[in-house]
Amino acid sequence: MSDIDIKRISYLAKLKLPPEKEEFYSNSLKDIIKWVDNLKKVDTSKTEPLHNVTEKTISIRNDEVSKSNSVDDVLSNAPERAQNFFKVPKVVE
Amino acid sequence: MKNSISQIKKALIEKKISVCELYDEYLAKAKSCNNNSFNLVIDRENNISSINDSQDRYDNGNPLPLDGIPLGIKDLFCTKGIRTTASSKILSNFIPNYESFVTQQLLNDGSIFIGKNNCDEFAMGSSNETSYFGPVINPWKNKNSQKDNLVPGGSSGGSAAAVAEGSCVASMGTDTGGSIRQPASLCGIVGLKPTFGSCSRWGIVAFASSLDQAGPLTNCVEDAAYVLNSINKHDFNDSTSSNHQREDYLVDINNSFEKKIKIGIPSDYLEDVSEDILNQIDNTKKALSKHGIEFVDVKFKTTEHALSTYYILAPAEASSNLARYDGIRYGVREDGESLDDIYLNSRTKGFGDEVTRRILIGAYVLSAGYYDAYYRQAQKVRRLIKNDFQRILNEVDFILTPTTPNEAFKIGDKLDPISMYKNDIYTVPTSLAGLPGISIPSGLSKNGLPLGVQFIGNYFEEKSLLQLAALAEKELSFNE
Repeated sequence: MSDIDIKRISYLAKLKLPPEKEEFYSNSLKDIIKWVDNLKKVDTSKTEPLHNVTEKTISIRNDEVSKSNSVDDVLSNAPERAQNFFKVPKVVE
Repeated sequence: MKNSISQIKKALIEKKISVCELYDEYLAKAKSCNNNSFNLVIDRENNISSINDSQDRYDNGNPLPLDGIPLGIKDLFCTKGIRTTASSKILSNFIPNYESFVTQQLLNDGSIFIGKNNCDEFAMGSSNETSYFGPVINPWKNKNSQKDNLVPGGSSGGSAAAVAEGSCVASMGTDTGGSIRQPASLCGIVGLKPTFGSCSRWGIVAFASSLDQAGPLTNCVEDAAYVLNSINKHDFNDSTSSNHQREDYLVDINNSFEKKIKIGIPSDYLEDVSEDILNQIDNTKKALSKHGIEFVDVKFKTTEHALSTYYILAPAEASSNLARYDGIRYGVREDGESLDDIYLNSRTKGFGDEVTRRILIGAYVLSAGYYDAYYRQAQKVRRLIKNDFQRILNEVDFILTPTTPNEAFKIGDKLDPISMYKNDIYTVPTSLAGLPGISIPSGLSKNGLPLGVQFIGNYFEEKSLLQLAALAEKELSFNE
């Protein structure tokens, strides 16, 4: 197991860990990754990955128009909205 | 003993109690128990039209299957117009505009929701201590240290405590790696995790989509069948929802088996377990042997890899599912100068420690350079685990295991994550295989705390699984 770059991982997850907690999460992550490392020894050279455990085919339905989610419904939980849009700080200069 | 759904329905039909009186009785209990098992309780006024409609149906002599029954709903199910928080700060102000498929079925069958049950944040935990709204207290006390507050288990800890304390007749939970069965066991009630794909995940706040499954927590096995009859239906909105023909789980539930039944006990599960836990297995074995059921030793080859597989796959899926919480479309937004700052601040301040930890694990095992070694390898080992179960279930009809490796422990007792994760050692393998599992109370520990056993059945064979559990329940039932 190589060292864990906690800054990179938290950036990937869009989290800004407070500096005083970086070590806490870094150590915790190291312990857990070390704990799950035993999987590497399992021979899976002839095994396919399992995605959907029941492996049933997806059901097909008719493509019928139905009414759901009005604009007001969708925006009703928005922290900030402007007319029919979610409002965020300016992203282009 | 608490009243079962069929007993309550009988009292309602015979007009010994009205729907409103019934609701008030449970509501008073929900408000007076101080176990923090609800994030939100719904006053009678806000349910009055459902209560009156239900009473009308009883008066007209055509009640629905769950008519008037007060249910607790884990705060992970979206409930239209009712705050749904996943016990997280980031969703603490979220009011869904739609009803989850499962809760809609329960409403269609006449049940009335008494409130939203506290749970671990985003269902990540085994003790209900990660909730933003504080821990749930197990209604049971250790007879040798009465003052200690114990955990109810998790993540459906509030759902389990609410049923155990008597503030709802039954409750809905979700189970990803044991989150229905483990708290049911620690609170002395019944918890059923149906086969993956039985009950739609639509409208349930997602944790790990290849594992999440809804199921009931109840006072008795028959009640679990009542709830399962309502919620076990195909749904086009969940692409993993199976469209097989469902059965009536109440029919034959109290009948004995027509064929000879063989149950496997995995001996590797019982190495290094306490006497208390061994007793549960022995008692169950003795009780069912009287009914001509045969027990055999079975051996899994993959048990030691189950927790590792789970703690790669579940955080990976969680990390991906929880990417949607960005402070833009719903949930709590924290201020920031730029769009990126809003994302970072909202997520960092909105998620608790355990959720943050799991997002980080997930991001790590999915990141470039590690994906094949961890995530893909875990998906392959998951197939080996599934094959292992299928091999065993070719030899036996059911598998019997303890539900938990220990009784309820003190709040604050287990601080390091790995020792907490080991609580799910007996439930995680079943979840990975996608099989149905039910935990029923099997006896008390030396400290007077409830313990449970788990029966595991084959895919979509909940009917015979419930039949077996009902039989065992009759033999093992104990009073508080």
